[in-house]
Order: sequence, then C-alpha cells, then structure tokens
Amino acid sequence: MNITISHLTKKFAATLAVDDLSIEVPAGTIFGLLGPNGAGKTTTFKCMLGLARANHGTVRFDGKTLAPPLFEGIVYLPERSVLYDWMRVGELVEMNRRAFKRFKAERALELLKTFGIDANKRCGSLSKGMKTAVAVAAAFAREADLLVLDEPTSGLDPVNQRHVLNLMVNEAARGATVIFSSHQIGQVERAAERIAILDRGKLVLEGAVDDLKADRKIVEAIFPDEHYSLNGLSGDKRIGRIDRSGRIVRVVALDGANDLARRLEEAGGTGIRVVDLNLEDIFLYAVAPTSARADVVEGS
Amino acid sequence: MPVVLTVDARSGVPIYQQIVEQVKRSTALGVLQAGEQLPTVKQLALDLTINPNTVARAYRDLERDGVIETAPGRGSFVKGDGAAASTKLAARDVARRAMESAVREAKAMGLSRADVRTVTDTVLDRWFPEE
Repeated sequence: MNITISHLTKKFAATLAVDDLSIEVPAGTIFGLLGPNGAGKTTTFKCMLGLARANHGTVRFDGKTLAPPLFEGIVYLPERSVLYDWMRVGELVEMNRRAFKRFKAERALELLKTFGIDANKRCGSLSKGMKTAVAVAAAFAREADLLVLDEPTSGLDPVNQRHVLNLMVNEAARGATVIFSSHQIGQVERAAERIAILDRGKLVLEGAVDDLKADRKIVEAIFPDEHYSLNGLSGDKRIGRIDRSGRIVRVVALDGANDLARRLEEAGGTGIRVVDLNLEDIFLYAVAPTSARADVVEGS
Repeated sequence: MPVVLTVDARSGVPIYQQIVEQVKRSTALGVLQAGEQLPTVKQLALDLTINPNTVARAYRDLERDGVIETAPGRGSFVKGDGAAASTKLAARDVARRAMESAVREAKAMGLSRADVRTVTDTVLDRWFPEE
C-alpha cells in the first residue's frame, strides 16, 4: 500500500506538533521515522490513521482517503500497548480472531511462543517488554497491507528486538508496507530502506538510507595556517555546513565529496580525508542547530 | 560450501555496496563458483535482517556487472561461461578500490608520485618476487 502525506499540519494550542509535513511512502517499503523526543512522530501516526484530527493536509492510501473498507488491512501498534489487564493472552488472540477476517490465530500463537509468552497469563501480569511482544504478535498475525508501528521494540531484549525487525523484513518481502519509529538508530539503519527525520514537527531530511550514506561524507583538510579562504566554496549547494577549528576544516558534503576534496586541495589544504557517515552521524548533523550552517561560518 | 555474507549496518558504506563487494570478492577467491546459487532475496534479507529491496538492489548491480545471472523463478546464480572473465573483473574492482584508498592516504600524508611508486615497487617485489 502506497501512502502519500501532503502538507499535514497539527496544532496543540500554540504548539505546531506537525508542521506542513509531506512524505511519500512507496508500497512494499520499510520506512523509518526518526526524530528527537517531541518531534511529532506519534502525532503524525495518529493524524495518518484518523486518531487525531489534522488542522490541514491530507493522507492518502493508494490514492484513497481513510475509510472503513481499508481498516481491515491497516495495523497500528501504539507506543504503549493497550491491553486489558484482566484478559488472558489467549483470550486476546481470540478477540482479534473475531474482530479481523484475515487474522491468523495459529500465527499469533506461534509468535507468542517464539517470544516465550504463556497464552494462559493475564495481560496485567506481564512486564512492559512482554506487553509489547503480545501486541507485536497480534499485529503481525493480521496479514496487513500496512503496518504502522510506534516504537515496536521498546522494552524488548536484544534477541526479541532482532526478532521484531525480522518480522518487519518478512512483511516487506510479502509486499506489505511498514512504517515504524524508533529511538534506536541502529535498528532503523538496519531494517529501513527509506527514512524521514522530524525535528520540532518539521521534516528535516528524507531519503533512502543507502543513498544518504553514499552521498553524505565529511571532507577534512588541514591548512598551513589559520588565514585561509574558502570563498571559492561559498554558495556551493553540495555543502551542508563547514566547521572551522584553527587550521582544520571539516566540510559536511551532501554530495560530490570527491570533487569537494579536490577543491579543498586546490585551495591549499593537505591531509585530505573523506570520512563515511553512518545514520547516527547523518541524524545528528540533520538536527544540529542551524547556527553552524555554512553561510554563517563563512563570514566569521 | 555455502557463502556466508555479513554486513555492518552501522558502517557508513551503503549496505547494498557491502553485499556487492563481498560477492565479488567471494567469486574472485573461488569461494563462490560458477553455477553456484545465491540465497533468494527474501532469505538473505531475513538472514541479515536487512531490507529486501536493499538485497534486490545489490543483486541488480551484480547482474549488471556480469557476476551473477537471475533465472526467473529459479533464483540467482554465479555466472557460468564467463566465470573466469567476470572473476578477474571482479577481482580488479576490489583491488582497485583498495589501492585507491591507499594512494589517497599516501598523497594526503604528503608523499610524492615518485615516493608512492617506490612504495608500490617494494610491495610488488614482496608479493611477486619471481616476476
């Protein structure tokens, strides 16, 4: 299922929780939503699924607005799983079986077993991580077209975290679309094909993880003294920012790192290094204060 | 012998590129031989816990470079006939990349072209003493 979010905006009193957000999620993609606390990830999910009313903007699922016929194929896993404490895990599975036509009860029970959960236990007696696992087991037994997962690995141990990631991979291989948020960049880096980074409700970066890694590099150069000019590079759209500290300059290249390396060399730089960036580096540069941007530093 | 691929998801090198290079290296070293089958896209994605589209992208690149061929419905195989040629090509690709970074590093540290050539000759003498 292909999802198109356009100009989504959500205000809470004076705060813009989601600010003119437009994202396209192609069908069959695992899409990771990243952002610091309070960036608007959960609000985005809620607006997408009609659980909160957006002030502006639209969300389309295969070109259609959200309506009852689509509900069966869409799974939402909230950040904090909502389970009835008094209900036994097995009863929860039965409830899901009655509620959703495509729900596979055997699959849910099999997943519960891999997570090491006893179906006879009451939900209220489970730890936070185990509650997440129960909700995950129910979600992945739905044979959904779209899974919207808010922090699907929170509270789980590393083995079960990896298990959830593999379930996501499995869903994508089946052709389903998976959108998830996580604080653990390493997980997003591993499983997601595309990512979007939100900061204070705004989209600051979006793209394919592998493309971002291939394009974004740091180019480092050392100059003979502190009086060097980088004017030749000012206004270059490929430069994300320039950090100067004494004789050392570090340029965040958004593209064309090798060419920028050559330009720095021509400007008199030596010891040129092109450094790869992983997703955590890319994330930190994307949400870093804008005061360090190239044009500002250039004039100093 | 089944080929064992690994990826370092935390590295700055794109995952599809890591897979492409490993398969090329494995064919160059003969670990993967002509006609040998690669895991399916889904299987490799699950084995490595990475995105299926990422694996598909790597396989497309390998196909384009003539290292593997995909028979619809049967899977991907290391290319048969031109195995030797594609192997050599793959080996060259891998070697060239390693040398590029070595030369770049040498230049960055201030060595001249002549200096680098001397170093290269020393290394070549060590590994190809008979030629």
